[in-house]
Amino acid sequence: MDVLNNLYSGFCTALTIQNIYLCLIGCLWGTVVGVLPGVGPLIGITLLIPATFRVDPTGAIIMLAGIYYGAMYGGSTTSILMNIPGESASIVTCLDGYQMTLKGRGGAALFISAWGSWIGGTLSIIGLMLLAPVLANFAMKFGPPEMFAVFLVAFILLGSLGRSSFFKTMPMVFMGMLIGTIGTDPLTGVLRFTHGSKDLYDGLGVLPVAMGAFGIGEVLSSTEGSLARTIHKVKLRELLPTRKELQASWGPVLRGSGLGFLIGLLPGAAHILASFVSYMIEKRIAKRPDEFGTGRIEGVAGPETANNAATGGAMIPFLGMGIPTGPAPAVMMIALLIHGVQPGPLFISQQPHIFWGLVASMYLGNVILIILNLPFVGLFVNILRVPFRILFPIILLICLVGTYSVNLSTFDLGILLCFGILGYLFRKLDYDLAPFVLAMILGPSIEVAFRQSLMGSGGSFSIFWEKPIALTLIVLSCLLFAWNILRSVRSRKASWEKALEESK
Amino acid sequence: MTKDRTGGLIFLFTGIYGFIFSIQLPLGKLNEPGPGVLPLGLSTLLGISGLLWLILGKGGGREKARMGLLGFIRKSRTPLQIVLLTSAFILLLSPLGYLMASILYLFLLFLWVSRYKLWAAAGLAIVIGGGSWYFFGKVLAVQLPKGLWI
Repeated sequence: MDVLNNLYSGFCTALTIQNIYLCLIGCLWGTVVGVLPGVGPLIGITLLIPATFRVDPTGAIIMLAGIYYGAMYGGSTTSILMNIPGESASIVTCLDGYQMTLKGRGGAALFISAWGSWIGGTLSIIGLMLLAPVLANFAMKFGPPEMFAVFLVAFILLGSLGRSSFFKTMPMVFMGMLIGTIGTDPLTGVLRFTHGSKDLYDGLGVLPVAMGAFGIGEVLSSTEGSLARTIHKVKLRELLPTRKELQASWGPVLRGSGLGFLIGLLPGAAHILASFVSYMIEKRIAKRPDEFGTGRIEGVAGPETANNAATGGAMIPFLGMGIPTGPAPAVMMIALLIHGVQPGPLFISQQPHIFWGLVASMYLGNVILIILNLPFVGLFVNILRVPFRILFPIILLICLVGTYSVNLSTFDLGILLCFGILGYLFRKLDYDLAPFVLAMILGPSIEVAFRQSLMGSGGSFSIFWEKPIALTLIVLSCLLFAWNILRSVRSRKASWEKALEESK
Repeated sequence: MTKDRTGGLIFLFTGIYGFIFSIQLPLGKLNEPGPGVLPLGLSTLLGISGLLWLILGKGGGREKARMGLLGFIRKSRTPLQIVLLTSAFILLLSPLGYLMASILYLFLLFLWVSRYKLWAAAGLAIVIGGGSWYFFGKVLAVQLPKGLWI
């Protein structure tokens, strides 16, 4: 009953003219940034942060969340019609989506993608609504040792969930954490790695680092090849899927919803992982797995549902524990902090109107998005008619102004460019950037939790196994670590053996 | 050099840099860990990871993943042009002001990288630069650098 009452009050908050307008703007902008290749939710959110300064925190988070889940809807359009993922979570959609377009079924793929996104998005909001308050209540029992243990699990997961191997991802995590230590030490005030530069006293901003690594890095990678792109036209009447296609997509949509939601709870590249795992599962259980990659509707329905369902899941640790699971939630957290709102275990009990207003707005947003992405899909496709050689300078300018607008600092622009170059280089070297950025964001928190725990115990490490929650989580992280080592060693051994055989 | 080895080299250098500067920070005691503990631990781990990739990152099939310096520079010509122009934009933003700097930046990007004709590049730069100045400066009320003129 409590949930229904809270949801009712949430709808009262979300259904004001101002908040409906902000939700609409967020969803619209989210779809646009999702459609545009090279501009993801991260850039979209950062760019509109200055616009939220004039509204209350509830309106601000409603709009920014709209961009976040709106981008997941829009991301599939370019994957299906151009074979270019508009958003990294839509990479898998290219495989079958584009093949469907080549066969003249691009419209149906777009329809199923939007419909699956709506189901996945709506089911994940129900999960968010039911689970986030429970998790927040549970997290209130957490002291520094438990928080340290939670972060430890998060870091091991960051290493294991990257697109690259565990041994390749962990150095990225270490490097991200090391960069996170730049600036003033939060406990003693000692300056670290600042080299006398006042601009570094507060550390490197998350925004320039994330925007550089993802935004600028992506543009630099995209401009390596040809700047020309081909777009396939889709007519409105082609949008309707056949009965066979609809029947085939039910299963993947439902499986993708559950899977995406659960994976969304994990830190790292959850959206990408959710869509990838969903695709692999659909391929594995299919009667004719060899047909995947040739234009199967299941290959579009599952991944697109999963990456949308992951957004609701990702909101739970972010709002309930103050732990962002990805770069986009991290930027939303920064926006909330600018508004004086601290996400964490006390957030839902102290700011219920913001939390329940957001939940209700997400229901509304999903309805807005299905309207935007079905009858108006042609409108968004027209954005893609803008040649990429005009688009990429605009994306660069958006990244630069978006970063500058937060602190009005040209130093931040320098950081943006440096991390853009680093992001480009790491892309070329096949390293995953999400663990790096997330480790940088979460690093300071794990350090504070670790040092506070030892201070509280008088220097005894037993504090980490005296408390049952901390002990359970530390055992879990050890098991995860051992499993990852074993898995990576096995795969490396296999590749070496294969190479040895080849050389013989 | 293979991709893995190049990555290893970056990690090793970052680890060494972190180690040199974090050893100078107070390490504290066990009951009061200092600000140098985490950076030192991370630098050590990073350095070891880098060294391992540098030694082991050459096995079998991975040899195919080579990245020659010359080939890299040739392939990265456009990204290098963009980096150069963006650096110039950042340096000129304060003295020239947003409007002038952005128009100049876009003009050179359209002309040099996108290879538009002179008049087309100029037109696009003025429309997009001016439009962005109006949108960010007037609509979103972002305090953009004014510089010499506006």
